[in-house]
Amino acid sequence: MRDLLREELPLALPVLLLLALVPFVATESYIRHLFIIAMVYAIVASNWDLSLGYGGIFNFAHLSFFGVGAYTSAILSKTLEITPWLSVPASAFTAMAAAALVCLPVLRLQGIYIILVTFAFAQLVLQLILSQSDITGGSRGMVLLPPLEIGDINFARDGKFGYYFVALGLLAVSTLTMRWLVRSAFGRGVIAMRDDPDYAAARGLSVARQRLMTMILSAAFTGVAGGFYATYLRVASTKVFEFGILSLVLSMLLVGGINTVYGPIVAAFALTFLTEFMVDLGPWRFLIIAALMVLVLLVYPGGLWSIFTSLAPKRKSRRR
Amino acid sequence: MDILSSVLLSGVVLGSLYALMATGLALVWTTLGIFNFAHGIFIALGAYVAWQFGTEEGFGLGATIGIVAAVSLLAALGCLIERTLVRPFLGHRNLVLAVVITTLAALIFLENSALLVWGPRFKQLPPLVDGTLAIGGLDIAAHEVLIVLLSPALLLALWAFLRLTYMGAALRAVSQNQDAALMVGIPVPVLFALAFGISAALAAIAGVLLGSIRFITPAMGNEPLVKALIVAIFGGLGSISGTIGGAYVIGMLEAVCVYFIGLYWTPAALFLCMILVLLVRPQGLFGRVD
Repeated sequence: MRDLLREELPLALPVLLLLALVPFVATESYIRHLFIIAMVYAIVASNWDLSLGYGGIFNFAHLSFFGVGAYTSAILSKTLEITPWLSVPASAFTAMAAAALVCLPVLRLQGIYIILVTFAFAQLVLQLILSQSDITGGSRGMVLLPPLEIGDINFARDGKFGYYFVALGLLAVSTLTMRWLVRSAFGRGVIAMRDDPDYAAARGLSVARQRLMTMILSAAFTGVAGGFYATYLRVASTKVFEFGILSLVLSMLLVGGINTVYGPIVAAFALTFLTEFMVDLGPWRFLIIAALMVLVLLVYPGGLWSIFTSLAPKRKSRRR
Repeated sequence: MDILSSVLLSGVVLGSLYALMATGLALVWTTLGIFNFAHGIFIALGAYVAWQFGTEEGFGLGATIGIVAAVSLLAALGCLIERTLVRPFLGHRNLVLAVVITTLAALIFLENSALLVWGPRFKQLPPLVDGTLAIGGLDIAAHEVLIVLLSPALLLALWAFLRLTYMGAALRAVSQNQDAALMVGIPVPVLFALAFGISAALAAIAGVLLGSIRFITPAMGNEPLVKALIVAIFGGLGSISGTIGGAYVIGMLEAVCVYFIGLYWTPAALFLCMILVLLVRPQGLFGRVD
């Protein structure tokens, strides 16, 4: 932890402060909205990095943890009338439970089969939500969810000022946790398991338990982000299970650079703003983004983050 | 019409279509060790090209030219995608992931291109053959009979190609051991392109057949692709014959599910079956441990 703070805080803290200044400069609620969405994507993509990148588990159910979080918060706050301040954090637990569940069939599988099973799991969750329309609203989803409030301040009516800082706080805590995790003894075990499962097992690591822990930990903040996303937009819908969002977040992860945590965050911001600025181009923007994605991967196979690391002066400590 | 036999018939029709799609997926998987997410858009593009060349609203050159154009253009597109989006990443440390993202990018690119070229209005191909056939007291649409006959015939031809020709043997050699194949002088890159081309051509045929049953949209391949995924898992990726068997099992299962538990729960039931199969047999229903 001390190493982490000494080595990474000097770079991360100024960025955090800069982001904290944004809502004071950008008074337009639309710009703040874009930042909030980018931060939500950043949390989801960087947490996915733990299972997909560091863990080497081809987990394609990650967005369903996000969806489970969204619906958990929606049901708790709207149907059971629990304050969103509690329902959003509670989303972590249901998302972690979903991660544990999807992990069970995955424990014995390898490679491409994991992609297929986790993909199927996500589809199952979607079908479950669609069929339980009494609880979840089915294909119409749940609307008019209660917003966050402090005293008299309603976050839905303050020009997205309050939500901005909640999102930023979540992103900061999530990123710190992820960086700490991947540098901890546990994280080294996860990486060892990915690079050489047989050797890791021979050194006393339980591959099954490691996978389970990796998946559960990567789901926690993803679930919270889902709960926050639903509360912020005041809608929980099955849109979050769509293939489009899955491929968007996956491209953030790969374009940003896996095994970095920071890369996906940078790419989340880049892609969110890029998509938004080209909104007038209609279908053309998707052509441009698709071409850019491939181009980045061709030129920088390690992702955008590798540009930063290749520029930075070499440190004595080994990078992980 | 007897209910049981109509359920069976729709199962066989579905199975035949899934077999065409899933075999293409499995062929690319066994040869290159990658998963092609753009496979679904090949189906839609095949149908669009056949529509463009064949129908009166398009160039009006007749169904045969339409199909030939669909198959040859899609095979070329398959080779092109292999050359530009897959080959540069061979040897990449995260090959599988990198190709997942580049083929996803291809999917996004081609789907939106189709939208730009052909517009959002639904199109449909006329059935390749009109009329109905009376078989065993059942009236069956001739088009469905064609699907049921054509698909196994094509797959049999593919099997014969893989088993009996030099190129087929080379393809199998590449899928078994790339380095050794290279060492005995097999042009591995050419065969990679070949696998992709065949896979795309099969998808195009599936698209042409599907295009007269359902509407042609840029996203028409997505749902069959998910089914083809299930099929590929069910049969065990890596064995072509297992995949074909899996396709008919899934097609039949789907038809039975739609009849007994409804359209709504069918996808859930299929996914659940798939997860259960993988729990018991991680190598797939007909797969072997290698």
